[in-house]
Amino acid sequence: MTASRKMFRLSAALLAGSALSFLTAAPAMAQGKAGFEDPNNWPEYHRTSNAWRFSPLNQITRDNVKKLKVAWIHQPGNITHGLQSTPIVIDGVMYTISANNNVWAIDAATGKTLWNYAPKLDKIVEQVFYGAASRGVTVGRGKVFVGTLDGRFIALDQKTGKELWSTQLTAPKTQYGALFSAPPQLAGNILFGGTTGGDQPISGKIYAVNADTGKPAWTFDVIKNDPKSWPGDSGKVGGGSAWMPGTYDAKTDTIYIGTSNAAPDYYNYDRKGDNLYTASLLAIEGKTGKLKWHRQEVPNDSWDYDSAYEALIVQKDGKDVIVHLNKGGFVFVMDKKDGALENVWQFSENVNWVKGINPKTGALIDPVYPEVDKVKTFCPNLLGARSWNHGAYNPGTGLWYSHAMEVCNEVVAGKDDPDNLKAVSALSLGIESIKLVPPPSGKPHGRLDARDPLTGKLKWSIKYDLPPLSSVLTTAGGLVFTGDMEGKILGYDAETGKELWSFNSGSGLRGGPVSYSVKGKQYIVFPTGLGSHAPGFLAGAFPQIKDLPGGAAIIAFTLE
Amino acid sequence: MTHDTPRSNPAGWLTASALVIAFGMIWAAPSPASTTEAAIVAPSFELTDPDRIALGKKRFNKTCAGYCHGSDGVGGRAPDFKGRTDLADEEAYRTIFHGRRTSDIMPPWGEAFSPDQIWELVAYIKFLGTQ
Repeated sequence: MTASRKMFRLSAALLAGSALSFLTAAPAMAQGKAGFEDPNNWPEYHRTSNAWRFSPLNQITRDNVKKLKVAWIHQPGNITHGLQSTPIVIDGVMYTISANNNVWAIDAATGKTLWNYAPKLDKIVEQVFYGAASRGVTVGRGKVFVGTLDGRFIALDQKTGKELWSTQLTAPKTQYGALFSAPPQLAGNILFGGTTGGDQPISGKIYAVNADTGKPAWTFDVIKNDPKSWPGDSGKVGGGSAWMPGTYDAKTDTIYIGTSNAAPDYYNYDRKGDNLYTASLLAIEGKTGKLKWHRQEVPNDSWDYDSAYEALIVQKDGKDVIVHLNKGGFVFVMDKKDGALENVWQFSENVNWVKGINPKTGALIDPVYPEVDKVKTFCPNLLGARSWNHGAYNPGTGLWYSHAMEVCNEVVAGKDDPDNLKAVSALSLGIESIKLVPPPSGKPHGRLDARDPLTGKLKWSIKYDLPPLSSVLTTAGGLVFTGDMEGKILGYDAETGKELWSFNSGSGLRGGPVSYSVKGKQYIVFPTGLGSHAPGFLAGAFPQIKDLPGGAAIIAFTLE
Repeated sequence: MTHDTPRSNPAGWLTASALVIAFGMIWAAPSPASTTEAAIVAPSFELTDPDRIALGKKRFNKTCAGYCHGSDGVGGRAPDFKGRTDLADEEAYRTIFHGRRTSDIMPPWGEAFSPDQIWELVAYIKFLGTQ
């Protein structure tokens, strides 16, 4: 199948204005600046704590990107749910994870395996809904940290892969298989992370341990103990997990982490209240787990609109602001210090669950709620304005690059049948039925948008037949990299969106591409292999997905 | 652990005896070798019974569709159920009971549904095959 990709809204004036200044933003000039630290490595999930997914390396440029060649391919062997990881690279060693929590240390210049660690997992992992996959590992303090499918944090020796400690944090049997699909993150000597379960009848938590000993440090209850927010016992089954990695600001000892939707997803009859702290961005003190501030983006969420995505930090009028995409199709811009709202702008083309969101107060304008016995169409669909595949920000262009999808769903709300909630894998969607449908604006599709992160002003956009599920990488070489669901790896001009390079990897991309340098040579690396439940669900709107092959291969590219 | 959700835990399929049941047919991809077979509880009704098909449809829309399979089973990575005639009754039953795990994952539902509830789903899927 050939995906049609149409370039549109190319602004010639903007292009001419900023193209020349771009390459001057080289690492040497910008040393010490936020986003340019440790340029040769990819030391954490989003590379830097501002969640830019920006590499300051500029050996690979618009002019020579066509010369990229495969340097090495690493195959873990098990393709279940593909590769969803963002690899970590430190001093020439890549640390990554594949199906069933297999952890790998790989020579980042050759692709040779240095060590492999396969944990002995509880049998319950065969029953969980979010099986097999993990989004990465965290490296620091001489250790590699893993969040497991059976609800543990594990620390490995960074040099040998030998297990140092393992701490059981969740009770998978009674918490519907609550597991760590995202890598736990470091906040000084604290290691923290949340679980899956936003769509399950649990009471979500964020767990923290001492990173050196594994000893539990604190637990944060995402479900606020407040009967106004959660009438009756609704909070006990209110969902509210924090299933994506947070970020950490060491200067202020602040963790920024987003939370999931409230459960049951579409049936809100028993939880009339704002349902704090679901669908919120939280600022938590790393040392204590104390809440500093929160911004709830979707009060009484009734559409499965998580706020779990990355907290991008950029400057506005000389101060740091957080730019935060919500699944409901809006981007919230808020003061990093206290969460005060700076702006809210619409990201999705098709939004109908509200007329809008007040950009000054954050109030939902005329929300339309799901109802029992009524078919209602909601845009975006339950997978969101975008899936969890992260965007990237390039300080050279000042643009935020993010994928998007335009798909809606028809929903009839319904009380969950207790009979159906017996399995560990059971979801609490609160529906009678659900169906993916095309948006009012036409065919369902995906996009890569290049936008001003503060206002949403569109610089360029690329349309795809199938919504890409890969995270985005941008580099100081003036490039944007991503991959589509069919396995095509793509390199674009960061200024114009012009496709400059592509490579057919054979299976779709779902992980996070990264860039790093070893012995003076820049590499661009793509985890490939289609996986996660999202493609399966999207097959309802995109029948072509049924024919797409699975896979699992990390492919590294470099110049000749 | 605090705030654990109370829930019933009926005799699940993941018991020592049930573990010897080999995974059966897998719809969309090669299956693990099937060496032993456990007896499947036969349906207590005809799979063509319209009332049972209707019950299967209701449960399918409430659960399977919401998970992955979409309305009328057009989602998911398995072939569409509509117009599908190659799906044997017991294979469908086993896949719902045990789930499947290839490049994708379908979780097991043997613990959530009674045999007749699974057979109602099978009846509905078979009905879709005639559409």
